[in-house]
Amino acid sequence: MSEAATTRRWAVLRRETGRALGAAIIALAVAFLIILFSSKTPLQAFATLTTAPITKVRTVGLWIDDVAKLTVAGLAYSLVFQARQFALGVQGQVYVGALAASYIALSPLGQTWCAIPLGIVCAMAGGALWGFLPGIAKARLGANEIVSSLMLNYVAIELANYLIRVDLTTPNSRLLSTAPFPSTAVFPALIPNTRIDIGLIFALTSVVAVWFALYRTSWGLKLRLVGHNSRFAQYAGIKEAFIIVSAMAASGALGGLLGAMFVEGRSFGKLAVSFEGNLAFEGLLIAIVARNRPLAVPVAALFYGYLRQGAQLMSIRTDVPSEIIVIVTAVIILLVASSYSVKPRAMLAAITRSSRPARTHVEAVK
Amino acid sequence: MIELLATVFSAAFFLTVIRTSTPLLLATLGGLIADLSGALNVALEGIMLVSCLTAVVVSVYAPWYVAVIAALLAGAFLGSVMAFFHLRLKADIVLVGFAINIFASGATVFALTLATGGDKGSSTNLISKPVPALDLSFLGMVPGVGGLLVRTLSGHSVLSWLAGLLVFVLWYFLYRTSWGLQLRSVGEHPSALEAAGVSANALRGWSLVASGALAGLAGAQLSMFNYVGFTRDMTAGRGFIALGAVLLGARHPVGALLAALLFGMFDALSVVMPGLFNWIPAELIRMIPFVVTIVALILFSYRMKLTSTTFDH
Repeated sequence: MSEAATTRRWAVLRRETGRALGAAIIALAVAFLIILFSSKTPLQAFATLTTAPITKVRTVGLWIDDVAKLTVAGLAYSLVFQARQFALGVQGQVYVGALAASYIALSPLGQTWCAIPLGIVCAMAGGALWGFLPGIAKARLGANEIVSSLMLNYVAIELANYLIRVDLTTPNSRLLSTAPFPSTAVFPALIPNTRIDIGLIFALTSVVAVWFALYRTSWGLKLRLVGHNSRFAQYAGIKEAFIIVSAMAASGALGGLLGAMFVEGRSFGKLAVSFEGNLAFEGLLIAIVARNRPLAVPVAALFYGYLRQGAQLMSIRTDVPSEIIVIVTAVIILLVASSYSVKPRAMLAAITRSSRPARTHVEAVK
Repeated sequence: MIELLATVFSAAFFLTVIRTSTPLLLATLGGLIADLSGALNVALEGIMLVSCLTAVVVSVYAPWYVAVIAALLAGAFLGSVMAFFHLRLKADIVLVGFAINIFASGATVFALTLATGGDKGSSTNLISKPVPALDLSFLGMVPGVGGLLVRTLSGHSVLSWLAGLLVFVLWYFLYRTSWGLQLRSVGEHPSALEAAGVSANALRGWSLVASGALAGLAGAQLSMFNYVGFTRDMTAGRGFIALGAVLLGARHPVGALLAALLFGMFDALSVVMPGLFNWIPAELIRMIPFVVTIVALILFSYRMKLTSTTFDH
């Protein structure tokens, strides 16, 4: 690689990191203001939010466990966003994947060594199917993928609720979860006495696999071309329909993997109603902050997972509800997705400039 | 089956359909305005949710119409936030919309906890007011059909009548005024409009504000008529169904009305079916509106594709 290209890369990296950190600081300031007005003990609450996750080995484990899951969710979004498909079906894929893994774990096969590998393969296949459906509807018929993938989320959630209630729980039990999986179907721990299990290895493997697929294979090149300039991709003879369907199915497989990581992971070890706790949608933030770059996804997940864990500890120990983290998420997405700048003067210019679309049009032509 | 047919053709079911269709119709009209201006408003869901809570909290302290206006203003405000980030700071509209949705799902629970003093699920300890139903029992004096008129026309929410009126107003605005023409052209070909000296951004901004306001009204109907009070995530995907209804309604106000009625009917079916068929699991009945939306979207896209290929060749 040439020297100039390397320098340019570092400049982009510095700029993007600065923007992400700036956004995080602004969002935390907003959170602090809200805590200040709503809590009786604002300083203690804010201290818990920002320092609690690293105080104990157990909470560090909770944090890293979240990071592994957020990473996979972020990768699933990044993959479809790079093809410029706004498929938002990760939540549904997580439920379908979790169902598939649970059926394996609770079958006789669940008590043998093949419970985990087979569970993961079935979960990924289920998730891929759930991603394939809106993909084929978009590629063949032009059905809007945002609407269809969101509808499929609701279908998957109701399907999971139904199967858990009717088929997977023991009869007459009032619990909204299945029986605990046999120990052969639960991920072994990486670090004893914490939640950190081999899910972390799956997450890191996924990072490398997605990076390799996107940047080192011709499929990835075509996918990025379709996302970057669909008309050019068509002229270049790329089968856009195939790329769209395969990208959405591959992303679905990651969603399914996440489902398996949830139910087979040490934090659950069973399938429960609404187990994912909105984590699937928070993957959206990870993908946006990481600018859909697979290698940046775990870094974003590390930071966000910390805040997420802090917020949960805060809601347990103080009077501030954990939902404050969602407000932080929204502010970060708005700032990172927009052309806000960390330089105050440039920011002011962006806000106060008179809207003259004719000029922007000329700029676009240049 | 006979019971189902008897229910479907009863006046009570008609009232239920109008009730469930109204928030969908208002949100669909909101989505339509934004879509015509070239900005897909995926935040309908979140805006409705925020407006639901606004309406409930305001109606505790103020008359119902103030609460409806507050919900409308809350929606318009969120619409203007979207416009600011999308048009001034050049953020992608889908991402901005999802930031609003994510914000709404958390902020409503947060605000609900503060308003109720700790209840995270519902607003049962807040005494909120409903939107009144319009009583048209004087129509009973009409000879012959009086009884039928009363049974079908009386008892709808004021907002249902407003929504019906808005279909006509929006049609008139879009197809009979020059502003409507500009709005329709900004989505199709913005540079033509700019060449004519009209600011595309200003037009898009206002249509996002109007879109938010309509979604706000939809929220008010949901939390002040369909259900009086607020529960966590009470919009339950209706904003996304409305987004499907915009596409299904062929981006026309009358089409939006028909699509909203269609989805409203299936929503109403999922309300009455548990009472009739207790052997069908509730989860599968709750799935109906979503499955219908997917099927309708696919059939509609298929038809569009057929017509476009016939005209191309």
